[in-house]
This record gives sequence, C-alpha cells and structure tokens, in this order.
Amino acid sequence: MSLRPPPVIPRTAGIVFAAACVALGVVPVVLDLSAYAHNQLTFLFITIAGALAWNWMGGFVGQISFGHAAMFGIGAFVAGRVSLNLHLPVPLSWLAGAVVAGVFAIGAHPLLKLRGPYFSIATIGVGEAARVVFTYWEGFTGGSSGLSLPIDGDLKYQLYWWALGFAALVAAASVVIRRSSFGLKLLAIKADADAAADVGISAPFYQDLVFVLSGAVVGLSGALYASFQSFIEPADMFGFDRSIGFVLTAVIGGVGTALGPVLGAIVFVVVKLYLLDSHPELHLGLYGMLLILVILFEPLGLAGLFRRVVRRLRPARGGGS
Amino acid sequence: MTRLVIRGLTKRFGGLAALDGVDLALREGEILGVIGPNGAGKTTLFSLIAGSLRPSSGEILLDGRRVSGLPAHRCVRAGIVRTHQIVRPFGNLTVFENVLVAAIHARRPGARPGAGHARDRAGEVLEFVGLADRMTQFPGTLTLAGRKRLELARALATAPRVVLLDEVIAGVNPTEALAFAQLIRRVRDERGVSVMMTEHVMPAVMSLSDRVFVLDHGKQIAEGTPAEVVANPQVVAAYLGTEAEQAVAS
Repeated sequence: MSLRPPPVIPRTAGIVFAAACVALGVVPVVLDLSAYAHNQLTFLFITIAGALAWNWMGGFVGQISFGHAAMFGIGAFVAGRVSLNLHLPVPLSWLAGAVVAGVFAIGAHPLLKLRGPYFSIATIGVGEAARVVFTYWEGFTGGSSGLSLPIDGDLKYQLYWWALGFAALVAAASVVIRRSSFGLKLLAIKADADAAADVGISAPFYQDLVFVLSGAVVGLSGALYASFQSFIEPADMFGFDRSIGFVLTAVIGGVGTALGPVLGAIVFVVVKLYLLDSHPELHLGLYGMLLILVILFEPLGLAGLFRRVVRRLRPARGGGS
Repeated sequence: MTRLVIRGLTKRFGGLAALDGVDLALREGEILGVIGPNGAGKTTLFSLIAGSLRPSSGEILLDGRRVSGLPAHRCVRAGIVRTHQIVRPFGNLTVFENVLVAAIHARRPGARPGAGHARDRAGEVLEFVGLADRMTQFPGTLTLAGRKRLELARALATAPRVVLLDEVIAGVNPTEALAFAQLIRRVRDERGVSVMMTEHVMPAVMSLSDRVFVLDHGKQIAEGTPAEVVANPQVVAAYLGTEAEQAVAS
C-alpha cells in the first residue's frame, strides 16, 4: 500500500529553525547591537509569541477573539505584583502571571458555546469589562497612574534571550500542534464543530483547552512585556488596541498557518517603529489597508504569499513536476 | 444477539412530538431499513440515537449499556456513529486527514489508540470505500458520490458497532447507487457492523434490508421483512393516502 504521508516535521525545516534561533541568539554578542536595536528585537520576540498564541485559538480552532488583551494585562499585572510584593525571582513572577491568565481563560467557558461572530462580539465585552475592572481596582493595578516596576538594566539586557527562547518555544509548539493529531482535531472543529462531534471529537473540551493554553502564553508575553517596559498601566495593557493588535498580526501574517503570525509580528513591529515616531496618526490607517489587501487577495496572509512564491520557484529548480 | 435496544423513545419540540414512544431493536450484523414519509421522524430518530439530540423520554441501550443522554462525541466512542443526509466533510482537511481525524479515537479491543494506529486504520478504511487514490485531494474536488463515500469512510474509521446511514444513496446516479448498496452490504458482512439506514430510494432499502421499520408522524406503524411491510395496508396508506382521502383529492 502506498501509504506514505509526509513526515510530521520535515528535517530541513527543523534544522533551519534551530539555526535561525542560534543565529539570533549570538547576534547581540557578535554584532554589538545598539541598545535601541537590542530592545526592539526583544519587543519583537514578545510580540511574536503573543501573535502565535492568539493564532492557536483564532487560526487553528477558528474562534476569533477580540479580547486577548485581558489575558495580556492580567499576566503583566500579576507578574508585576508578585515580584513587587512577594519579592519572588522575576522568572517565577512571569510564570505566576501566565498561570493566572490561563485560569482566567477557563472563565471564558460559557463564551465558547458561541461560535463565529457571536463569539467575537462576546470577547469584546469580556476584554472591555476586564479593562474597566482593572482600571478601577487601584489597589492592584495602581489605577490610571499605573504600576512602576524597579528598573533593572541587567534584566532588560538579558530579557532578549528570555524573549527569544520564549518565542522559539511557542513557534515550535505552533508547528507541532498544527501537524499533530491534536491540531487535526482543532481544524476539524474549525470546519464544522457538529460534524467533529459526530466522529468523536468534543469541541467544548478542545476549545477550552486551547483557550487556556493560548491565554496562558499571552499572559506570559504580557508578563515579559511588563518587565520590558518597567511601567504598566491598565488603560494601555487592557486596551482594545492591544486586542486588535493580536488579530492584526495574525491576519496579516496568515490566520491558521503555523508560522504566519511570525511574519505578521515582524511587519507590525517594523511599521510601529518607522511610522509611530514620525506619523503617529498614520500607522493604524496602514494596518487597515494591509488588512483589506490581505482579505481581498491572500486570505492566508504573508504566509500564503510566501507559499505561492515557493511553489513558483520549485518547478524551475527541480526541473519539472 | 441484540446490539441496540430502544424503549419508549420520545422527542417533543414544544407541543409537537416528533417521535412518540418508539420501540426498536437492532440485531448484531443486521441491516435495518427505517422508512416513512417526509417528516415522519427518521432523522430525529437518528439524531437521538447518535446523541445530537437528547430524548424527552425513553432509553437507548447499546449492548446493554445505556447511551441515551450522552453527548454525540461520547456516543461515537461508545460505538454509535452516524452519517448525514447532507454530507459534511471537513473542507480544510485532505481526504486522508478527514478520515484520520475520525480514526484517532477509534478503540478496538487489544489495540491502543495512537497516531500510528490511526494512520493505518484511516488508510485501510479509505481502501475499503474505494477512495485510496484520492487521499491527498481535498473533499471539494470529489463528486457527490465521492463525498458520500468519504462520509461513510469517516464514520467507519471510528470503529463503530452501529452505523446510522441517513440517505447515503439518495442523489447519486443509478450506477453509483448500485455500487453503494454493495458497499453497505460489505460494511455488514466484512466489518461486522450493524447498519440502520433511512432511504428514499425504495428499491435500495427493500433489497438491502433484513427488516424494515416504518415510521409515520413519529409513531411506529409497521415492522417486518420488506415483503411484509410492502403488503401492510397501513404503510400503503401512509405513503399514498387512504382510499377516502384519494377520493376527496380527486
């Protein structure tokens, strides 16, 4: 029987991925990066991890969340409070932020009975409710004056490798999920939750599981971001702009593709860097245009574009078929 | 031996009883045809057995174990699987993946569920329904008959003891219909699966079924061999109307 489906993860792809991680790991040492570039790369890694984790829910399960800022903010404030008040080592405080954000995501269980646009609208409500609650919860978040964390130059320098490792792990997890039987179940739920139940897949269980995982990872990215910024305030951390940011990065990069959000995050951060400073009013307009272009011409985003280019090039190199 | 026992099964939607006190038994290795006019409650009956709907009252036992009230995915794991009248393939997965995802939870005595096991099983089932050469295609590229085969393959991949086929033959051309009837017989003969099927294509049901069960307005009106059922005046009345009604109509 000619039953040879492709291997779960092609070996060359694994090698390229590992090499890229190692290269990025030695870049600051070898190239003597400016502090600015060093920090922007750190920010990029944090953004990548968040975008990838959003995509587990939005892309793999197909439930588009406009409320992930809630988990991002909770991760950040819990981590901040744990390191400030309990004086635990910073990495432990990050972990605490991730766990609490994941637990918060379990609370989304009733929402997950909704599908499609109904789910999306409900997540807007949850995100905004979280923003209001945490803005008024001054004892915890410092209210509108925010929370200042001790400024630690060494930590900020080291954060580069923490963030890189984190992003690499999340990227590897994305690929493994996408290619595994677990990912297959998620895609089946995305296609038709009722038909999935008819072949023995419990949509509620897997949705809950993925939402918790996605929430915990986004919470962890929020916690790293808190250490990165040293100052966090609820209006910004829980802001609707952040929730939209997750959606934008994933959609521009390629919703449902394993690694598309990485590309989306790169575009997002670069646009932010080069347009936010010079033309702060322009960058949202540009995202809007990118979004329209993606939806009209390449629903799989930059990843889809990338695949198309690869397909074009391949026959030329391989000499036919 | 009796595989599936249904006692006093009732489903009400508001004031309307879509199914009203149905008693039914499906034997091991049997093909049972369920027929009835449109709106008789056939699909409701299937939805109740498959766990897509919860019964208002009554019970369903699979090999003596109560399965009524279980959600659909638990019914599948217990061994009852259904196919849909309107095929519902996972359009974003290949034909192979469509079947693979159904095979993941398949449990057979002695065989542990696992990825490798599921792959073998998915390949074997696709071979069985005659779609082995379409594995890497997407369901959208298949003909209707092909998608119906896929629907059947997906159901079989779950390693069921009972399969409920909702109008699998309807809508395909006569040659395909004949091949499909053959396939359903092989599901019973070679895989030992008990089959319950509804069908509008009467010759197909009558030639395939060991027994036929007739529903009308949610109630059982007849049960027996195809020959007995066809001769039953109540069945004829349900399908064609009584003489008095025909007189009024004409």
